[in-house]
Amino acid sequence: MYLYSELDQQLIDERVEQYRDQTRRFLAGQIPEAEFRILRLQNGLYIQRHAPMLRIAINYGLLSSTQLRGLAKVSRDYDRGYAHFTTRQNIQFNWPTLESVPDLLADLAKVQMHSIQTSGSCIRSVTSDHLAGVVAGEIEDPRPWSEIIRQWAALHPEFAYLPRKFKIAVTGCEQDRAAVQVHDIGVRLTRNTSGDCGFEILVGGGLGRTPMIGKQIRAFLPQQDLLSYLEAILRVYNLLGRRDNKFKSRIKILVDALGADAFRDKVEAEWLQIKDSNLRLTQAKIDRVKGYFQPPAYEADASADSSYAAKLASERDFAVWIERNSFAHKVPGYRAVTLTLKGLLQVPGNVTDVQMDAVADLADRYNFGEIRSTHEQNLVFAHVKQADLYPLWQQLLALNLARPVVGTIQDMIVCPGLDFCSLANAETHSVAREINTRFDDLDYLYELGEIKLRMSGCINACAHHHVAHIGILGVDKKGEQYYQFTLGGSSATDASLGKVLGKSVPQAEVADTLEKILALFVEIRIEGERFIDTVRRVGNQPFKEHVYAVDH
Amino acid sequence: MPLIINQQPVSDDRWISILDAEQLAAQAADADLIVAWDLYQQQPQALAERSGQLGLAIPNDLDVTELTALLPRLALIAVDFPSFADGRAFSQVQQLRRAGFSGQIRACGDVTWDRLRFMHRCGIDAMQIDAQRYTPEMLRAFTEIKVRNQAAAGDAHSLSRQQDALNDH
Repeated sequence: MYLYSELDQQLIDERVEQYRDQTRRFLAGQIPEAEFRILRLQNGLYIQRHAPMLRIAINYGLLSSTQLRGLAKVSRDYDRGYAHFTTRQNIQFNWPTLESVPDLLADLAKVQMHSIQTSGSCIRSVTSDHLAGVVAGEIEDPRPWSEIIRQWAALHPEFAYLPRKFKIAVTGCEQDRAAVQVHDIGVRLTRNTSGDCGFEILVGGGLGRTPMIGKQIRAFLPQQDLLSYLEAILRVYNLLGRRDNKFKSRIKILVDALGADAFRDKVEAEWLQIKDSNLRLTQAKIDRVKGYFQPPAYEADASADSSYAAKLASERDFAVWIERNSFAHKVPGYRAVTLTLKGLLQVPGNVTDVQMDAVADLADRYNFGEIRSTHEQNLVFAHVKQADLYPLWQQLLALNLARPVVGTIQDMIVCPGLDFCSLANAETHSVAREINTRFDDLDYLYELGEIKLRMSGCINACAHHHVAHIGILGVDKKGEQYYQFTLGGSSATDASLGKVLGKSVPQAEVADTLEKILALFVEIRIEGERFIDTVRRVGNQPFKEHVYAVDH
Repeated sequence: MPLIINQQPVSDDRWISILDAEQLAAQAADADLIVAWDLYQQQPQALAERSGQLGLAIPNDLDVTELTALLPRLALIAVDFPSFADGRAFSQVQQLRRAGFSGQIRACGDVTWDRLRFMHRCGIDAMQIDAQRYTPEMLRAFTEIKVRNQAAAGDAHSLSRQQDALNDH
């Protein structure tokens, strides 16, 4: 993984001291509240319902065991012994005090972690594919490009006061696990007809109040032009994006208002002015960053082991876990494994300090000291030798990190909701618990096949419910919590926005409604069909009739 | 109003800001004026005939390519930050410097400690600061963060990062 240079380290250390001084001046009354709000958000600090919430960047989801131990320590020293993985591969602390944040950040800086641009109207931390570098058929590893973008975006002097937040995702694979079509900019590695590797650039995707799928503004961008092209997009947006209405200030609204063609013309005109400037990437620079993402030292004879096959044959639960929670690796004898942060009665994405320390130890023993966070709020060990899978599984079971629910409705993505977030209209955690309790028969879940269920507590859509196969959105109706269902969304390569099923239902009826949807699906699916494909085949109408049928 | 030029406080400012025709008429022909863009457009000829230096105060929604032909005649451009959330002028300044404008670019409006470094990095060399928000300590803003991950206006090195310049030499 990327190793910080002295200058990278100096930058985050200086940023901590800068923020310490900003906090001091705010507490001394020298910075007005409205101004400090912007400053603290640029440094990841929200003021939430109960306490501040601090979001720490995990750039493109990549963590070392040392960093995870650092996060565990901070959760003990400054918080209540747990933390929450977010839908953008970052991690949040819910209880630090405003006064203690500079010290907390100084501690994290010792393990090369920071909160730079994890919130606010600036370029947010870059997200990518959690299986980068290990899946077969990848066009190119997206992580070096994510790192190059991170460096360029970090404290960029021109783009710290954008009209609104700005999110960039990078994928190197046909199969999209980074949801690039619902980002402000989606960067897809691709090849042109002569076989050169470059980028397809999508702009103006996003969720929230006005969900939109990103539009392609360039089919092929040469690699050395990545930063100049991104800078051109950002400059056009910074100058022309709306600032009069925060609900209309994302780049998707600008792209939609101008039309993708006119927007592209503006970007290309700006880009022509700067493509040969010092933003042009040299091959030396590209190679240097790629050098940090070389494969670990895989063992050549890993597939010669016979214990794995024996355990698969003799231990059904282990075999189920392998089938559900692991992925094929491009190197024979290795698999990638998901550690599910979806305990039955737990908040999706939450981990305790004890779990973090234990996972760090397991990563050292079995996974080259590396941990990845996913946008589905799980963790991944990307390089586990097959002989190690059984002992790893046993230890994950003891940590409650081995529930074999990946891809089922128990693997739901859930935002913090009304319990923590001051924007939320409705609770999400209690509803998630209700759903998990109702649908706890794993064989039934496996029979249903892959279903992406996501629940957001408000229209800001932090859980990306619009692009869920089944989306649930919490809404406030005269002080009561109601939940609206959408069906047929996807954030994968076949991205689509879900359509609203019908009128929202009260909290007590969410699990019943889901049950009706699933019952009808089982009834009408063609054998082997995924839920999303059934919805695409028949539309919402049969589901709507079934859910809202008057009981006789 | 306190003024910082090239990261140092400056006590004498010869420039006079002109918002309307009446103010303009009251000025001596050799006074150096910062004229509002609207006013300039009404009487470009009259302003061209003056002997004093000309500066323009532009709104932050102006497409600065409209100024291209005018740049050789301007000694100063004042850009506007109407609020602490508004960062359009950062991009205007980048474009002005790129177009070769080498006169003074002066930040006006919501100009405070925590944006001085970004302003400087984008190519703003003069900052006009509300007296209530000015303190001598705020000059620290320029050195709080010394690492540069982006090349800025006027940087000599040819790569995108200070880091790369070090690695490649």
